[in-house]
Amino acid sequence: MNISPLKAYLRPNGSWGLRNHVLVLPLHSALSSSARAIEEASQGAVAITHDWSGEIDADLERIISTLAGFASNPNNFATIFLTLDSPNERRIIERAESLGLPNVVHLSLADAGSMHKLVDVGILEADQLLTRALLQERIPAPWSAIVLGLECGGSDALSGITANPALGVASDMLVDLGATSILGETTEILGAEHLLAARAITPEVGVEIVNTVLRYESSINYEGIDLRGAQPSRGNIEGGLSTLEEKSLGAAKKAGNAVFTGVLEYAEVPSAHGLFFMDTPGHDIEQLTGFAAGHVNIVVFTSGRGTPTGSATMPVIKVATNTPMATSLKDLIDLNAGTIADGIESLSEVGNRIFNEIVAVANGKETKAERGGHHEFSLSRLYN
Amino acid sequence: MKMEGFDHGTRGIGVRDYQLILPSVVCSTHISRRIAKDVNAVTFSHQHGCGIIGADVAGIGDFFASLADHPNVSSVLVVSLGCETIQGQELAEKLVTKNASTKYQIIQDSGGVEATVTAGITAVRSLQESYPTKRRPLNDLRVGISASSNSSIANNLLEALSALDIYTELVGGKSPADSFSHLMEKKVHLILSFPTGDQPASGFPLIPVINIASDSALHQAISADFDVPAGTPVENIVKLILEVANGRETIAEINKSGEILAPRLVRST
Repeated sequence: MNISPLKAYLRPNGSWGLRNHVLVLPLHSALSSSARAIEEASQGAVAITHDWSGEIDADLERIISTLAGFASNPNNFATIFLTLDSPNERRIIERAESLGLPNVVHLSLADAGSMHKLVDVGILEADQLLTRALLQERIPAPWSAIVLGLECGGSDALSGITANPALGVASDMLVDLGATSILGETTEILGAEHLLAARAITPEVGVEIVNTVLRYESSINYEGIDLRGAQPSRGNIEGGLSTLEEKSLGAAKKAGNAVFTGVLEYAEVPSAHGLFFMDTPGHDIEQLTGFAAGHVNIVVFTSGRGTPTGSATMPVIKVATNTPMATSLKDLIDLNAGTIADGIESLSEVGNRIFNEIVAVANGKETKAERGGHHEFSLSRLYN
Repeated sequence: MKMEGFDHGTRGIGVRDYQLILPSVVCSTHISRRIAKDVNAVTFSHQHGCGIIGADVAGIGDFFASLADHPNVSSVLVVSLGCETIQGQELAEKLVTKNASTKYQIIQDSGGVEATVTAGITAVRSLQESYPTKRRPLNDLRVGISASSNSSIANNLLEALSALDIYTELVGGKSPADSFSHLMEKKVHLILSFPTGDQPASGFPLIPVINIASDSALHQAISADFDVPAGTPVENIVKLILEVANGRETIAEINKSGEILAPRLVRST
C-alpha cells in the first residue's frame, strides 16, 4: 500500500499536477467574455470569469493572492492571462510565476488592438499550448503528490453520519501515506473549533484554529448580524439539520482523526504535508476557489441535497450522503455514501471506496463535474 | 425619428427582445448558459445567491427581480439549484405576480443536469409560443449615461436628449459594470458609456451599450471596441442612439461583452 500507484505531471518547482490544463484567465471583468470565447473555440482550454474590474480597495491583496494562486495551481500546464496591462495585473502574473506556474502567456488588450483580435490571438495561443501539453506524460508520483480539498455543501441530517466521516477515513489514509489534506469553511466549524484545536500538532496551532474562528465570527458580528441565526441555511434545515453546532460537528468529520499540522490563510499554499485548516467562507464556490488558489489539486465534495458544481482546475468528486438523492441526481453524483445509513456498507468500506476513487481520478478518471464542463468561480471579498 | 419597440406587456416596451435565463445562484449559472445557448436567450454569470447574509438577502433578490422586470425582457426562466439562500421557486413566484411570462426549473427536483437542461429548453420554447414577439411604437425612450458627472460631453448629451423629450439618467459608479447595474434598475432601454481612459469598452447582457472613447492611449489602441471615437459631435451621437434604439447592434453586443455585477453590501459567509 505504501508504493504509490499514482501517475501525475511533474512541475519544475517539484509540485505535481493531476491534470494538465491550459487556463484562460481574464484579469479584468470586461475581458470575461473574451476568455469564454477563447474557451469555446479552442481545442480544450478552460476559462473562468469574474467580476473584478481592477478596483483598488481593502480586498485588493486577497484578490491578487486568489487570482495568482488559481493561475499557478499545479493542475495548470499553462495560463493565458488577458489583461489591460495595469500594474496590479502585472503583479498577479509575477506572483503566479513565483508560485511555480511553468508556462505563462500574457495577452494585453491594447497590444491585440480589440476584443475581437484578442480572442483570435488567444485561440491560437491556447491551441499551441494544448498541443505542447499533450506531449507531456504522466510519470510515477509519490503519495505526497496529492493535495486533497475537503468540501461539503447542501448538507443534510445524514452528512455527519455517512459521507463526511467516510471522507474522514479516506483523508486519514492519505495523510498517513504522506499526502496533504485541507479542511476549510470556517463557518462550518463554528461550535466545533475546540475539538479540532485539541488535535493540533502544537498548542500554538490549536490557538490559531480557535483564533481563526473568533476572527471570523467577529467580522460577521461587526456587520451587525448574528451568524448563528443565518446558519444552518434554509436548505440545511429542509435537509433535517437542527443547529449550527450539529452542522459543524458533522462538517468537521470530513477531516477524520489526523493531527492538524497548521492553519492557512485563504488562498495560501501549504509549505508542508499533512492535515491543514484553511480559513475559507462556507460559500461553496468561494471556498473551492480558495482551495484551488492554495494549490489543492483534487477535491472531494460531500452533499446531501446535490450540486453540479465543479472547478476549472481541480477535479471535484461528489459524494452523496443519502441513497435517494444519489439515485435521482445520477449525472452529478460520483459516489453514494448513503449505503452506510441503508445498512449495506460500513464506514470503512465507503471510506475505502472514496480513497480508491481519489486515486482513480488523480490518475485521470473524469468526474461527473468534469464531464459536464462545470467550473463556476467566485472571488471572495471581506469588505464587500 | 419614429421608433419601433417590442411590446413586453407589463414590463413595458423594449428596444430589444430578450428571453432571460436567470440563475438564482452561482451553482446554476453553467446550466443556465447551456439552456440559453440552445434557445438563443440571454443569461449571465454571477457569484451570488448563497452564503449571503443581512441586507444582501433582500438586496440581491431585488436586483434579480429588477433584471426580470426590465422592458427589454420578453420572458424569464429562473434556474434554481434548490437549497440556495435565494430560493429560485420563491423568486419566480414573486416575479410571476408581476409578469405572467415567468417559469422556473429546480435542478434538485428535476433529476439532474441533463434533465434540467432538457426541461428548461422546453419551458423556454413554451414561453416563446405563449408570448410571441409583437412590435409597437416606442414613445418614451429611456437613456442611461455612465460617466463621471464632470464630463462635459456627457452633460451636452444630457441637454440634447432632454430637448428631444428623452428621459435620461446619469450615473457615475465605481466601475462601468457597477453603473450599468444601477442604470438597469432605472429601466433604461440603452446605455451610453464613457469609460475612464484606463478602462476598456464593455457591455451589459440585457441592454445595448454604446461605448464612447476618450483620447487616452488605451482607448486609441483599442478604438475598434468603441462605437464612437473621441471628439464626435453630439448630434452624431444622438443619431446613433436612435439607430441603436431601432435595432442597430452595438460593438459590445456583437462581441457579447459585458458581465452583470450584482451590488453586494456585506461579506459572504
